[in-house]
Amino acid sequence: MATTVGAPARQRRKPVTPYLLLIPAVAALLLGLGYPVYWQIVTSFQKFGLAQQFGQPPTFAGLDNYARIFSDSDAFAVVVRSIIFCLVNALITVVVGLLVALLMRAVHGWVKIVVQIAMLLAWATPVIAAVTVFRWLFDDRSGVVNYLLVKIGLTSYQGHAWLATPMSFFFVATLIIVWMSVPFVALSLFAGLTQVNDELIEAARIDGATNGQILWRILMPLVRPVLAIVLLLQIIWDLRVFAQIRLLQDAGAPVSETNLLGNFIYELGMARNNFGGAAAVSIFVLVLTIVLSAPYVRSLMKEDES
Amino acid sequence: MKRNRLVATSVASTITLALAMSACSSGGNGGAASPTPTGKPEPANITLWLNGADTPQANRDWLKQEFAKENPGSTLTIEEQSWTDLVPKLTTALADPNNTPDVVEIGNTQAPTFTAVGAFTEITPDFFKELGGDKLLKSFVDAGDFDGKHYALPYYFGSRYMFYRKDIWTAAGLTVPKTLDEFATDVAKLKTDKQSGFAIGGQDWRNGISWVFANGGELATVNGTTWTSTLSDPKTIAGLKEFQQVYKTSSILPSTDRDVAYWDFLNDGAKGEPPAAATIMAPGWARWSIGGMVKNAKGEDVRDGMADANKFDIFALPGKDGGVAPVFAGGSNIAISAKSKHQELAKSLMKIIFSADYQQMLGKAGLGPANSDYVSSLGDDKFAKTMIETAANSKLTPAAPGWASVEGAFVYEELFQKIVEGGDVVALAKQYDAKITPMLNGQS
Repeated sequence: MATTVGAPARQRRKPVTPYLLLIPAVAALLLGLGYPVYWQIVTSFQKFGLAQQFGQPPTFAGLDNYARIFSDSDAFAVVVRSIIFCLVNALITVVVGLLVALLMRAVHGWVKIVVQIAMLLAWATPVIAAVTVFRWLFDDRSGVVNYLLVKIGLTSYQGHAWLATPMSFFFVATLIIVWMSVPFVALSLFAGLTQVNDELIEAARIDGATNGQILWRILMPLVRPVLAIVLLLQIIWDLRVFAQIRLLQDAGAPVSETNLLGNFIYELGMARNNFGGAAAVSIFVLVLTIVLSAPYVRSLMKEDES
Repeated sequence: MKRNRLVATSVASTITLALAMSACSSGGNGGAASPTPTGKPEPANITLWLNGADTPQANRDWLKQEFAKENPGSTLTIEEQSWTDLVPKLTTALADPNNTPDVVEIGNTQAPTFTAVGAFTEITPDFFKELGGDKLLKSFVDAGDFDGKHYALPYYFGSRYMFYRKDIWTAAGLTVPKTLDEFATDVAKLKTDKQSGFAIGGQDWRNGISWVFANGGELATVNGTTWTSTLSDPKTIAGLKEFQQVYKTSSILPSTDRDVAYWDFLNDGAKGEPPAAATIMAPGWARWSIGGMVKNAKGEDVRDGMADANKFDIFALPGKDGGVAPVFAGGSNIAISAKSKHQELAKSLMKIIFSADYQQMLGKAGLGPANSDYVSSLGDDKFAKTMIETAANSKLTPAAPGWASVEGAFVYEELFQKIVEGGDVVALAKQYDAKITPMLNGQS
């Protein structure tokens, strides 16, 4: 208030208050995010192991830590595996989420409420609880899945270990991750669908459009922005998946063949005490995330300008 | 359209969070403060880290009392850590003078990783003699040595032996086996669709390496300071092949099982169903999870500790040519954090731990005392005798600085799973030698 006393005309053109109000947020970001990222970047260029943690000066390693991501066959396999896993999961999640959203639009009354509550409950389930339930479902000795498969005559599933091979491990992991992420996608898309004007659909029907045409020519273009953002978020989230994989690995799995980027970073840093290597892979993931999200952020900015 | 973009942008704000989360930090940079050498220790509160529930509450209370008595004005805090994430915790805590525990218990296979980087205070030859010297369990002392100096001393030793259903063995006309081959044939006979003759999970290398040791094999050898993984050694191969065979012919557990509560398998089912296994391998304390159901003083249901000797019994895993097979030693080491600000008080605690009184308290609790003078406190029943007999023959994993990396990355779990799934042992050994050797030498 005091500032307005001096020169009101100039103050209106160059207000100080908004910038002052920004300071706490920027400071918190710099402190909370800036320093760790700075440390991360510095460490990623160093040979930093347990000896350095206990006080020996780190040595400069140049790009060695980054080079190993591509030269070490184990590490490169993790990168490829993570990208494939993330794209497959994101696509399945968005497709299933879209179907559920369309279902919620189509049904009315208590059915809709039941579907919505079911979605919210799945979304609200903590990761550890969800993975534990899935571990029990797929347990080799007492799991419901094996029990049912044996009941319907597939006796080879007696005591079948689902987590023993990478392929079936990732099948179970995909089930968990899709199950946990569908509600967010479905609810976001449903929110988008409710914005579509009913008169528009009515008009289309009068013009003789089929249901398929209404979906592809009218609904989809209208929810495209929402669809794009949830797909992008899903890709980012599925690239960073850690806890689900780690908890499944604890139930017994070939660890090096089922590691994704998050688990690989954890293993490098915390189990093998190669902090430099872990920092480099973290930075790599950051760059990968930016590369994957750049196209969308750019198109979003363009739309805002227009 | 416009409102849709609103939905989109509000969802987009979450992106900031997503980006923020992907930059995860991996450990702090501890300062290099040196321990403060003080003539007379100032009263302070020091911290001891013990792992798991192995050390009984009575022992902990006694340590606190004794410590307060010996060091007027000072107190001892005991914090319990879990074995599973001990290494990451030690990595961050030991490096920071303001947060380090003063005395820590550490797995004997994990000790070399930390002694090699100077995380522990040297136990000088004089102090070593005062704490028991040559009477301390040699193999554990060796595990805590680095460069000819002592850093981590044995805390307690354990061992593993076989628990079996005597009624089932007897009904099948079998008696306690004399050799390792005889054991393999016997347990194979006891396997049915619903019962393991010998229950062992495929990834359970800590029990599985007994077959390697029994064949005279080694996991790794050292030349100077350079370690080499020796899975391809003919004796190691022989042991691995034998383990492959034993798993195949006697266990119905999945190849992915690693930390299994085997002891449950020996008990009858809740409705009197037959047990899931005729034989298991476990540490001595597993006894208290086996047997008939009885009520304890508080009226809770507990196992009677194998009271029915005709139903439950134990034996030591026999060696190739009779005698006792070398098994993987259980137990832990104890050390003073080099960054601790209370070195004198920490030493005082070490003296209390290695005192005759405490050593005997360990023995009475079924934990093997570090000092051989007090081993008799374990008692002289069959459990104590078998434990001492198997412990005397036990072996440790390689004392390489990088061994903790091998364990942390679950390399052996993976190898053993592939072996029991029928993999070509020679090819696997070669493949994993190439993988493990650089890890042992800290090039991960």
